[in-house]
Amino acid sequence: MLLRYITRRLVILVPVVLGVTILVFFSIHLVPGDPARSFLGDRATPAAVAALHREWGLNEPIPVQYWLFMSRLLHGNLGQSLFYQSSVAGLIGGRLPVTLLLLLYAAVLSVLISVPLAMAAARRPDGIADHIVRAIGLVGIGMPSFWVGTILIIIFALRLHIFAVAGYGNGLVGHLQSLVLPGLTIAISIAPMLVRSLRASMIEALNSDYVAFAKAKGATAPTVVMRYGLRNASISAVTILGINIGFLVGGTLVIENVFALPGLGSLMVQAILDRDFPVVQGITLVFAVIVVVVYLLTDVAYALLDPRVRLG
Amino acid sequence: MKGITRIATVIAAGSLLLLAACGGSAAPTSQTSSSGGPQHGGDLVFARTTDILSLDPTQMTDNESIWTAESVYETLYAATPNGRQLRPWLATGYTLSPNHLVWTFSLRHGVEFANGQPMTSADVKFSIDRVSAKASNPFAFIDTAIKSITTPNKYTVVITTKYPWAPLLADVALFANGILPDNFGGESQSQFFTHPYGTGPFSVSQWVKGQKLVLVKNDHYWQKGKPYLDKVTFTDVPSDNTRELELQSGEADVDEFPAYSSISQLQSTSGVKVGIFTSSRTDFLQFNESVKPFQEVAVRRAISYALNRKAMIQAVLFGHGTPANSIISPALWAYDPNSPGIQYNLAQAKAEMAKSSVPHGFTTTLLVGSGDTTETSLAQIVQQELKPLGINVTLRPVDPNSEYTDIQNGQYSMAFNYDTTDIIDPDELISFSAMGGNTGQKTHALFTNYNNVNVDTWAQDAERTFSQSARQALYNKVQIQVANDAIMAYLYYSPFVYAYSTKVHGLDIYPTGNYHLENVWLSS
Amino acid sequence: MSSPSLTAVAVVPVTRVPVRRRLPPSLIIGLTILIIIVAAAVFAPLIAPYSPTQQDLTNILAGPSAKHWLGTDELGRDIFTRLLYGARTDLSVAFIAVLSPFVLGTCLGAAAGYFGGWLDSVIMRIADVVVAFPFYVLVILLVFVLGPGTRSIYIAITVVSWVSYARIVRGGTLVAKNEEYVLSARVAGISDRRIIFRHIVPNVITQAIVFAMSDIVMDILAIVTLGYLGLGIPPPTPDWGSMMAEGQSFLTTHWELATIPGIAVVITGLGLSLLGDGLADLLRAE
Repeated sequence: MLLRYITRRLVILVPVVLGVTILVFFSIHLVPGDPARSFLGDRATPAAVAALHREWGLNEPIPVQYWLFMSRLLHGNLGQSLFYQSSVAGLIGGRLPVTLLLLLYAAVLSVLISVPLAMAAARRPDGIADHIVRAIGLVGIGMPSFWVGTILIIIFALRLHIFAVAGYGNGLVGHLQSLVLPGLTIAISIAPMLVRSLRASMIEALNSDYVAFAKAKGATAPTVVMRYGLRNASISAVTILGINIGFLVGGTLVIENVFALPGLGSLMVQAILDRDFPVVQGITLVFAVIVVVVYLLTDVAYALLDPRVRLG
Repeated sequence: MKGITRIATVIAAGSLLLLAACGGSAAPTSQTSSSGGPQHGGDLVFARTTDILSLDPTQMTDNESIWTAESVYETLYAATPNGRQLRPWLATGYTLSPNHLVWTFSLRHGVEFANGQPMTSADVKFSIDRVSAKASNPFAFIDTAIKSITTPNKYTVVITTKYPWAPLLADVALFANGILPDNFGGESQSQFFTHPYGTGPFSVSQWVKGQKLVLVKNDHYWQKGKPYLDKVTFTDVPSDNTRELELQSGEADVDEFPAYSSISQLQSTSGVKVGIFTSSRTDFLQFNESVKPFQEVAVRRAISYALNRKAMIQAVLFGHGTPANSIISPALWAYDPNSPGIQYNLAQAKAEMAKSSVPHGFTTTLLVGSGDTTETSLAQIVQQELKPLGINVTLRPVDPNSEYTDIQNGQYSMAFNYDTTDIIDPDELISFSAMGGNTGQKTHALFTNYNNVNVDTWAQDAERTFSQSARQALYNKVQIQVANDAIMAYLYYSPFVYAYSTKVHGLDIYPTGNYHLENVWLSS
Repeated sequence: MSSPSLTAVAVVPVTRVPVRRRLPPSLIIGLTILIIIVAAAVFAPLIAPYSPTQQDLTNILAGPSAKHWLGTDELGRDIFTRLLYGARTDLSVAFIAVLSPFVLGTCLGAAAGYFGGWLDSVIMRIADVVVAFPFYVLVILLVFVLGPGTRSIYIAITVVSWVSYARIVRGGTLVAKNEEYVLSARVAGISDRRIIFRHIVPNVITQAIVFAMSDIVMDILAIVTLGYLGLGIPPPTPDWGSMMAEGQSFLTTHWELATIPGIAVVITGLGLSLLGDGLADLLRAE
């Protein structure tokens, strides 16, 4: 049954990803601006521009270019970057770990922040702790992520000198250190949503018959909250993070710029500015696949963990 | 009550943030610089604004790639430190035939590539031929005057030009004409460029895209005793703030282009020096003469008179610049200090407007590259400064790529732009920026659609004249003409700014941006 | 917008001690904050001491003083004035920007839920494609295609945000279409369009309205972020995002340029969120 569900979902995945490639391909090609001129800069002569157009195949009609792109794609070739003169796949491969690590950090930190807050709030709804937590959440929702990142840099790097500001650091330890502030920034941006729903589902769980029964049998309040609240929380946390993966991934675009991280997000922004078509297409494809796969995994995980959900 | 608790919480949270941010700044570590001769060894960490894009000198257009390549590949002739002349480098001299068509270069003996192989004329021919091999090569235009290159023996290279061409020596000194090993030393092209090397003081040891590029010392370098450094690591750090902090914490030894607003703070930081080096850059506001009313010289002059360059320099460069009076910067030998580039004079601006067909002003747009805070600030200043003339400027922000395209397609009325030179000769600059119609690089005077036949003639004559004073006279005429015609409103000349640790010695940036890292050393 | 499924969870009934019908305090406080901010925006021309574009190049980056309560920016403009005018810009753009995804999403969602079948599949597949894009990637691409400016912002936000409304309304419609009043309306022969717009939508729309409150916050953040990336509202119109972007260059020397507009955004977001919460409480209690 599960296998059928997964297969069905995978089948739906194909037209979705295809739709994504079409949308991206045509939109970036409709964008005014010319990668040849960007590449040649202020020493662009008409002859060189024309020659580059020919060389990069930019004179072909758009459907032909799309066809070339798709046929290369089906052979696993994402094409050549117009600017770096190296393979798009290679560029992406080099930067993907940074972005993935950042996302992982953000996910872990957001859970570490949100779960305790939600538990404190859910224990006594409408109590002091609950109000404080909800207030923090309400304030947090309105914080632009780049602003949060800037404030963190001012406090922890400029004033307190705890972290080596932006950049990716050297060596594994350096990398992990350098991702704390950016990861924290993304975590803070998603924490309000997370806390809200964790709190709600914890409250629901705590009021369930199951818990009432456990309490009647003598389990103390803290144990109850810990065991049953936590289990519910982890299911919710996983699903909410999974569902909002698009938001998280998109956040890397801005955050990688603020913190100068060599990930896919900053490469994407630069490639858009340069009109480096193959790179933009490649990264968007990777992003879309990540998002869609995570959706699928989330659905499956949710279905596995919560027997109430039908897989039909 | 609940609501009040919430508000109190918010206020408390906000205050905490403000308080934390108000904390005192940490004191930078102080260092004493040592005196004495150059010391050998060390790894110079050079934090720069962007990553390089290519290691192939015939393919690169971005500054970071170019300045890196110059440490690896060298040219027959090279610029002097003040950027005004050329001196022998991999060649020891040349003779020019009486008809000015045949240049015979003698190569320096004892020059070796980083792999120990001697440099010979075959390497020179191979490298220079590559530059114009494809029409799409970005600097193919610089070698168009070359008809053929022959190598009568291992240490002689003969370059024959299609017509008398005075700028040839300067062209040959361009980084794109840097010398690579013949046939890539036996490797395939792609193999070679994974770890390229030349006769220069360093070769490429590692390139992690988006992060860093590492150069290592060339033990076979022909200038004995140099380079002093063992390694140079270029890091890619786009954020101004981050580079600054890395410099202050010692993680980086050199900060490329600190923000102008930080310069005075850096100058008073112990352990840090700020180098302000002359560059060949001229910034200006350009007009599209195909768009009314910019075809009228009175209108262009009026706008130029209305711009307060000193105020702009103060606001945007924090004082680190000088008002520009010529399309050519003072760093170049051809600069005419008497060039009558228009300066701020509001009364004159109004007088010019009165002479025009739109004495009460008009409405127009100004192209602005979005995401560039300097341009955005300048644009807003220009907007304000043109109001007294009745000129209503609407800003049209576009992303940087569209900015290039729009300017080059003539889809603008006014736009910001700048000029530099890659060679030690005014020809490149003038052929792009002042020559109109079908002359020069066919860029219609940098896409202003200016077309003055006299200017074209003087510029072309200067290309074929071999007397320095005669060339200077011709270029003076060009500068005076285009300044009077106000094809652009020259704004300012700005320097190259590098902030570096006091442990770094010998860093002297040339007006074309070359580092000449073989002269740099680190004290312990 | 980018967190569509959250709404389903947010509407989970919260265990509360039943309160008598009175306005929730969150509603009151949220409304108060919002009224203050909107008033500041509307009356900016009367309150502001200077013009927002008035430069003074001899007095740049000045700290707070009697003449300039919050100091001046990098072109000598009064920050307090620009903050007020920035409210005008950002709030008006955000309020307008939330409307068309609301309308578009509601229509598509109602149609998908009511008619089901292939229409439902097509609409939901398109929704899947849109949602597969990280929000900012799509918005940046669209703003590039259309050129920076407010028109592009409206279009970009519409293309990306309609999905949440569609899903909410579709969900509500799926439930509602089996209700008594709908079934009897169909039996009575009332046209589908009438049923959808007269009967189903009004009952389902309340959830969408509550979501719209939080969506406005998201839109303000998006506009501000676009401004930060240089793709927002063109200069010299003051907007909190570009103020923060311009302030980025002075982080080490004048951090207030980059942080003060952010505080304005946070407070506005707080007001809107409280309002949304209060509305949700109010509607739930009914």
